[in-house]
Amino acid sequence: MKRRSFLKVVSATGMMIAINPSMINQVLRADDGRLYKSYARVQLLNAEGTPMTEQMLETSENYVFNYPYEGTTTLLINLPNESAKDVSLKDEFGEAYLWKGGVGSRRTIVAYSGICPHQLTHINKKDSFITYRKKGERFEGHVVCDGHTSVYDPEHGCKVMKGKAPQPMASIVLEVGDDNTLYAVGVLGPDKYHEFFKSFRRELKEQFGSKRNAKKEVVSTAVAMRLSAYTQEVIQL
Amino acid sequence: MSLTRRELLKFSSIAAVALAATGCSLTEPTSENPESMGSVGMGTPAELAETDAPKVVIVGGGWSGLSIAKYTKKFAPNAEVILVEQRTEFMSCPLSNLWVVDAIKLEFLMHDYLQASRENNYTFFNATVVGVDKTQKIISTSDGDIAYDYLVLAPGIDYDYSEWTSDPVLERRLRTEYPAGFKPGSEHISLRNKVLDFEEGNFILTVPSGNYRCLPAPYERACLIADYFKKEGIEGKVILLDENPNITIKQDGFRSAFEKLYGDYIEYLPGSKIINFDLDNKKVETEFGEIIEFADAAFYPKVRGSKLLEIAGVAKDSRFNKMEADINVFTYEVNGYPEIYCTGDARPMGFSKSGNTANTEGVYVAKQIAAKINGKKEMPAWESPLTICFSAVAMEPILAISINAGYAYDEKQKAFGFTDVYANEKWDGRVGKNNGKGLMEWAKGMYRDMFNA
Repeated sequence: MKRRSFLKVVSATGMMIAINPSMINQVLRADDGRLYKSYARVQLLNAEGTPMTEQMLETSENYVFNYPYEGTTTLLINLPNESAKDVSLKDEFGEAYLWKGGVGSRRTIVAYSGICPHQLTHINKKDSFITYRKKGERFEGHVVCDGHTSVYDPEHGCKVMKGKAPQPMASIVLEVGDDNTLYAVGVLGPDKYHEFFKSFRRELKEQFGSKRNAKKEVVSTAVAMRLSAYTQEVIQL
Repeated sequence: MSLTRRELLKFSSIAAVALAATGCSLTEPTSENPESMGSVGMGTPAELAETDAPKVVIVGGGWSGLSIAKYTKKFAPNAEVILVEQRTEFMSCPLSNLWVVDAIKLEFLMHDYLQASRENNYTFFNATVVGVDKTQKIISTSDGDIAYDYLVLAPGIDYDYSEWTSDPVLERRLRTEYPAGFKPGSEHISLRNKVLDFEEGNFILTVPSGNYRCLPAPYERACLIADYFKKEGIEGKVILLDENPNITIKQDGFRSAFEKLYGDYIEYLPGSKIINFDLDNKKVETEFGEIIEFADAAFYPKVRGSKLLEIAGVAKDSRFNKMEADINVFTYEVNGYPEIYCTGDARPMGFSKSGNTANTEGVYVAKQIAAKINGKKEMPAWESPLTICFSAVAMEPILAISINAGYAYDEKQKAFGFTDVYANEKWDGRVGKNNGKGLMEWAKGMYRDMFNA
């Protein structure tokens, strides 16, 4: 397995350093940290295999792609409103990190881990209790996990707005390439991948043949499709 | 600091000699020393590794105790956390009604204390607590004594049959022949066998008054047993005798399920308190003078705080039930003993006695304890528990209704009330099916949280 080198993003004294997505081509990570981890720079494709551009993303629609691992999902949203800039967030131990905001011409494109940091409810092929709520839906404009009613604000780094989640949803850091196509490059914030792989080993074995297969990192490209096409059932309570 | 093993031994020896000299019972308090109630058990220290770490002993491995054990260790990693539980395995009360009617497997409800302790880095100590010495800060168990720096009592409920009978023989018969089915284990197995073996006639369920464990469960149970009768073509009817004037929670959802799904299978009788049991002839009499015959039954009496609270000398009647925890309702500290906490279904507040409530409350209490251990000057601000409560009304597929609520303190009433309530009481169509799936996902998440399963 390839060894990574790491960069401490937030010091032990609590000093906060902004993540610049352009730095993320390098391999960065806090030694002890849960705050930023770089993965392969993966180009997003649409269901037909065409590199995805901002214009292909319908506003407020839920899209999903597998990243950073074959067995983990990411929720991709083109928000109706411009996202906030430089949002200071904290993980459950009080360690701070900075969410720079969305990408795209209006900074409306955001992506978050499809694993709820509360009790690990997650988007999968069978069902999804996690959705971005469109206009007119309960909690409109928010990402909601109906596993235990955790509500997050995607315009502000998916900080917790309601419920008992102890920390924000991890953010998938996106870049827009020179050709105007979208790339995923890393994970910012407290991810739950370790706990996820541990808790769902049986399910992952069933779906991927082995946990090892599910833990393979996505490289090069990932298909982003509508949540309703990815999962058998989208469940909102 | 913890008492050392040597000090603990010394204490135990002195206590044993003192008791021998006075001829006192081992479990009864003395007027000279009311704080050392039931203070001596084995008289020998429990077989536990000796450390200098702050020691947090949690009594009771239900939803509250499990949550507090996990999160105390998480928030105060330097603490030694010991969970004392008399059962060897965990059986979930939430969702057990589905197992009673054979709609889910037992494996879904059963969980492994050893895994929970292994995954969350605390010690599981399988023993029964027989005494608490609040002065010496020692608990006595069936497997030896344990000194503590912080003690959490999360022993759950006991049943209070006193409004039904003062006859111990009748009470014993009710407990044995018609168990309530709200303390997981043999009661649930008995109830399941009653339902699966039922041939015909009336099956009586009761709903007590007061703040009983799991408000919607008797109504959910009525629906599911009725569904089982319907599915199996059993000529039976569920008679639901409710001491309360109306369905206590999720009224619209349950009432419409009773009427639309189980019109021929459920007879709901509100305001019906039993005043006489004739078990030999299988009849009960209500306050209204109705005589109701039954083929089988599960009689759910009022609840009270676990008797362990009395043994520990921390029990007090609440506005709802007898002998619940005598605590500060914001910090959960026992009045006069800030190093002792009482949590879970033994609490006196009017919170729902249910799993999600105990779990979220447990996280808050763990923060309180950890703040003390970590030497914080400011204690964490009060956080409301969160009640997330699904109830199944049918089993194939599982159709459910739900309610979510937090709590707010009313200064005038000097009591907590619901706040931010969201009720989802539609059980038919896609909504009901989604609620059913939500019920299963909720439970899986909670088991993951407590057991890392």
